[in-house]
Amino acid sequence: MNEYKVSIRYSSSLLETAISKNLFEEISSDVDFILNVFRSSKQLVSVMESPVIKWQLKLAIIEEIFKGKINDETLNFLRFVIKKGRENYFVNIFEKYLDLKDEHLGIVNVDVKTAFAFDNKQSKTLKKNLEQKFNKQVRLNYSIDNTILGGFIAKIGDTVHDASIKHQLELLKKKFLEGGITLN
Amino acid sequence: MAEVRPDEISAILRKQLSGFESEADIYDVGTVLQVGDGIARVYGLSQVMMSELVEFPNDVFGMVLNLDEDSVGCVLFGESQLIKEGDTVKRTKRVASMPVGKEMLGRVITPLGVPIDGKGAISTDEYLPIERKALGVIQRAPVKEPLQTGIAAIDSMIPIGRGQRELIIGDRQTGKTAVAIDAIINQKYTHTDEAKELGIEPVYCIYVAVGQKGSTVAQVVAKLEENGAMDYTTVISATATEPTPLQYIAPYSGATLGEYFRDKGKHALVVYDDLSKHAVAYREISLLLRRPPGREAYPGDVFYLHSRLLERASKLSDDLGGGSLTALPIIETQQGDVSAYIPTNVISITDGQIYLESSLFNAGVRPAINVGISVSRVGGNAQIKAMKKVAGSLKLDLAQYRALEAFAKFGSDLDVHTQRTLAKGARLVELLKQGQYVPVLVERQVVAIYLGTNGYLDDIDIADVKRYEKEVLEFVEMKYNQIFESIKKEKKLSDDNVELIKKAADEFAAVFK
Repeated sequence: MNEYKVSIRYSSSLLETAISKNLFEEISSDVDFILNVFRSSKQLVSVMESPVIKWQLKLAIIEEIFKGKINDETLNFLRFVIKKGRENYFVNIFEKYLDLKDEHLGIVNVDVKTAFAFDNKQSKTLKKNLEQKFNKQVRLNYSIDNTILGGFIAKIGDTVHDASIKHQLELLKKKFLEGGITLN
Repeated sequence: MAEVRPDEISAILRKQLSGFESEADIYDVGTVLQVGDGIARVYGLSQVMMSELVEFPNDVFGMVLNLDEDSVGCVLFGESQLIKEGDTVKRTKRVASMPVGKEMLGRVITPLGVPIDGKGAISTDEYLPIERKALGVIQRAPVKEPLQTGIAAIDSMIPIGRGQRELIIGDRQTGKTAVAIDAIINQKYTHTDEAKELGIEPVYCIYVAVGQKGSTVAQVVAKLEENGAMDYTTVISATATEPTPLQYIAPYSGATLGEYFRDKGKHALVVYDDLSKHAVAYREISLLLRRPPGREAYPGDVFYLHSRLLERASKLSDDLGGGSLTALPIIETQQGDVSAYIPTNVISITDGQIYLESSLFNAGVRPAINVGISVSRVGGNAQIKAMKKVAGSLKLDLAQYRALEAFAKFGSDLDVHTQRTLAKGARLVELLKQGQYVPVLVERQVVAIYLGTNGYLDDIDIADVKRYEKEVLEFVEMKYNQIFESIKKEKKLSDDNVELIKKAADEFAAVFK
């Protein structure tokens, strides 16, 4: 529960700094880069999460990895987080930053689950319709799940637009059980 | 032989299924973070409402009780074993509600309105939310019609009016449920044609069992059926085996069903048996939801828990149909301790209380009502005039008796006046004893109490008082039935009637042995 509050506080301050210092592009690409580094090295994550290792050592490690590769502001932010003893939330903070960045840019993330891969034309139509509906830019993240049989499921935040065959069949079954549809 | 062609069948299928919509279904979801002890924490569901029903997999439903910054706390109405971490939770977009209607009468249901008596589905299409706000001042009217319990001690000295909230409080095994069941059984009279002619409106009853043994509930239902009371009664059962959240909402669904009748201009009586267990169930939920514990580990809003429930009892103004919802909450005390947290709370909320004492019960005074400390704050206005007239002196006589009771063991050393008071008091106590499941009609109560307070019992052996009462009432019914008829119709005790009762009593005294 705590990590949510911590990560949103740090990430929003990073975003505000980036906007006010006109470093939005740089810091955003730094965040992508840092997240990639963390994701590629499990050891780095466990070092950061370890309560046994002293913060000075963690700071030295971070400095050695990132110095010269990222903007000074971003590096300062990393140092600040370590000094505050919140380095175990690094991944959460940067993931949250990406969410906040999308919100800032007016981009909506939509997870689309399909039974078979959409072709270009289909995904363009879907994107156009969704953009019209939300009046915002839409980023589609596709995944494939055979069990939905057909159609698609689009998830925007907590709201699900379910147009899958599987769901239709479930609804039909429910209707039959309720006796809503009778065969004379 | 008739033939059906396959293409005909598919045409029919197509026609029948054409009503089925196949557009994209839009719903809100969340993910289960943590589940256990009948509680689930859910991430997501950002638009969810307080006390909304949410749907978990495997047809388990839950109710939202906590809205936190980053998660939602739900209580589960089913088994928590059926739910795993990471499961999807769907909003239903309706707050917890139950089906209501006349069809519910005669049935045993769960707090969500599902029948559990094996008599098939209940077909109602009206739904009402389980949690409803109590009525305001404008919609209400003063309590003015009596709700006869059929128990002489209550109807005479602790009268209950329609729309009142009267607490029944006492230790275990003092007959609290028996009082409530007798009150339900006595409402049978209000459903007769005779009552209709006299302008007495029928009272529909709801018995809510919270955290009780399944066998006890079965026994109650059997007794109600035996006495023909199930025809106008609904039993809402959340036994000790049900998940705690169901026990928590059971009294509220009882109130909802009662309000349905009230809002239709009818009269309802709800028995909450018992609210101590309800408070315990709510304490369990609150602690599991990590709300801070207070006195006796109950959460801070345990007073509101009962006050919002009992405030729903009401008498509607005539503009709104004049219906009523009477509440008989029951509280079980430990070792007669009424100063514990929950008893004091409920005492202060209700319009009076009926104290039942185990010492009286063991001394053979049944119903074991301690009339000295039992009160009814509004029911007096609802008593019929005849009863008011005779009950005044009954109260006084019993109070004098209690004051002198301690001297009773001195026997003949006392002065004549004291001895007379003691003798009369002992006979009145005997007169107010009453068997279970044998409610007495009000006109009979009036005559019996009149005889008791006016010295007609003084020469009769204490052991013979009950027999005298029974026989004299039979005698009056046979020879002077006009007394009963006039009390019933005019609701008052006229001077002519007093003379008639005296005459009848004198006549009867000659033949009684």
